[in-house]
Amino acid sequence: MNVIEIKNLTKYYGKSRGIVDVSFTVEEGEIFGFIGPNGAGKSTTIRILLSLIYPTSGSAAIFGKDCIKFAPEIAGNIGYLPSEVFYYEKMKVIDLLKYSASFYKKDCTKRIHELAEIMDLDLKKRIDDLSFGTKKKVGIVQSLLHEPKLIILDEPTSGLDPLMQQKFFSLLLEENKKGAAVFLSSHVLSEVQRLCSRVAIIKEGKIIKLEKIRDLTENNYKKFKIEIKREIGRSFFDMDGISNLEMENNIASFLYKGNINLIIKKISEAEISNLWIEEPSLEEIFMHYYKKEI
Amino acid sequence: MNIFLHEMRAYRKSVIIWSCSMAFLSVMYIFIFKGLGRDIEDFKLFLSNMPDVLKKVFNIYVDRISSLEGFYSFVFSFVVLCGAMQAMNMGTSAVAKEIRQKTADFLMTKPVSRGAILTSKLMAAFFALLTTNIIYLALTVLAAFIVVNKFNLILFVMITFTLFFVQLIFMALGFLISVTARKIESVVTVSLSTVFGFYVIGSLGSFLGENRVRYFSPFRYFDTGYIIEHSAYETSFLAISIAFIIAALAGSFLIYIKKDIHAA
Repeated sequence: MNVIEIKNLTKYYGKSRGIVDVSFTVEEGEIFGFIGPNGAGKSTTIRILLSLIYPTSGSAAIFGKDCIKFAPEIAGNIGYLPSEVFYYEKMKVIDLLKYSASFYKKDCTKRIHELAEIMDLDLKKRIDDLSFGTKKKVGIVQSLLHEPKLIILDEPTSGLDPLMQQKFFSLLLEENKKGAAVFLSSHVLSEVQRLCSRVAIIKEGKIIKLEKIRDLTENNYKKFKIEIKREIGRSFFDMDGISNLEMENNIASFLYKGNINLIIKKISEAEISNLWIEEPSLEEIFMHYYKKEI
Repeated sequence: MNIFLHEMRAYRKSVIIWSCSMAFLSVMYIFIFKGLGRDIEDFKLFLSNMPDVLKKVFNIYVDRISSLEGFYSFVFSFVVLCGAMQAMNMGTSAVAKEIRQKTADFLMTKPVSRGAILTSKLMAAFFALLTTNIIYLALTVLAAFIVVNKFNLILFVMITFTLFFVQLIFMALGFLISVTARKIESVVTVSLSTVFGFYVIGSLGSFLGENRVRYFSPFRYFDTGYIIEHSAYETSFLAISIAFIIAALAGSFLIYIKKDIHAA
């Protein structure tokens, strides 16, 4: 059974586009990534799944049930972490978490304390005394305390320091091992690459690519930038897999796709003074997919 | 039930402050009434020389002023004004505060239907207002008994009860406004201007002597003079109040259930 099944989902806000004809499925036990630049429609899709907003057309189902019709029933098995978390400011963390737990038909006290320990969260503080990152931690505990079967995360790592990100990711993997599916939106490719088995790429409201992360990394583009000591001609870079070559003064930059050993050998032929190899930004990857589409 | 309790906890302080302040206003007048004592006849003479319009605007019924009920109805119009502000604030903020504090995402992704959320909020506001009225009534009646002793309790309670009616009307109006608006930056601005707007319309109606204007201002739905004279409420206005409350709340539910909750 598919955990999430989205069919031809379209949402317009008045005349402005939210998403157009989005379709994909998330399978049971899967960690699914949803990437795209800001304003592409990631949050719109998520908000429809959570029945916070209603679609213009198309349908979305979670656990095989329509998202809108069965919203309260479905919500019992969903944990949701928004990109920015906001809670009742005058409440203490523990009261907020207890209030949150009171909506689910089980005793979550033990889990609250376990999670708070893992995330290193002080339960006695008031919400309005917390920093942005700490609020996010409350959000993490809040979204996992009822052991949901589907975890929906909207840009989950913003505001978390690397150590906490690490802890959070291992927490997610643990939940995933226990059987929870994870749906994660992000505009940071590397974070999606680390966790997800499949990704959907969305741009300007449309899904432009749906593939296994393995394939995506195999087709992995690397961004090279070389500072060259002695002038070399453009022809030096005449080689399979190099694209978007730009040469400016003594700096050459290009995208490379293919066997990494070959390019390293090639570069070693030139005398260079500096070398940068970077993950291409999401935009650059989109450029690539865009070209393909056309 | 958890949402209801959560809301009630949030109302606790404001209910105590509002009900005590309103009661304070009335109790002060009860003391003034006592203080006037026999001089009340002179006071009556002074009032009867006032222009009729002013008497109407301020709910002064000269014939009745020597009784506590009549004297009370004068201050009571201000109590109702305060009560309306409280109720309107409460109704408007019930939904608007979730949007403003950006907690709507939290609450509305929980396994409860929107209908249940609104029902809980409505019940909480209703009980908060009921509590306000009980505290207010208890304090003023107690003061009346202790200070004046001789007065018509039934009329006194009947007049006081109209506070609750007016409050329910403004609460319902507040709910309707808050589900219709996308985001309300300042609840107080919206509720105060609405309440004062209706108050001015009502006073203007009395000022102009135009009876039809009464239909447009809840402040004029329950005429204390009529209540004192007939020991009853005016049926037509009672019906309008109930009809308005039901319509406004039904509308609120329909809108709220269909509404898009936008991201913070």
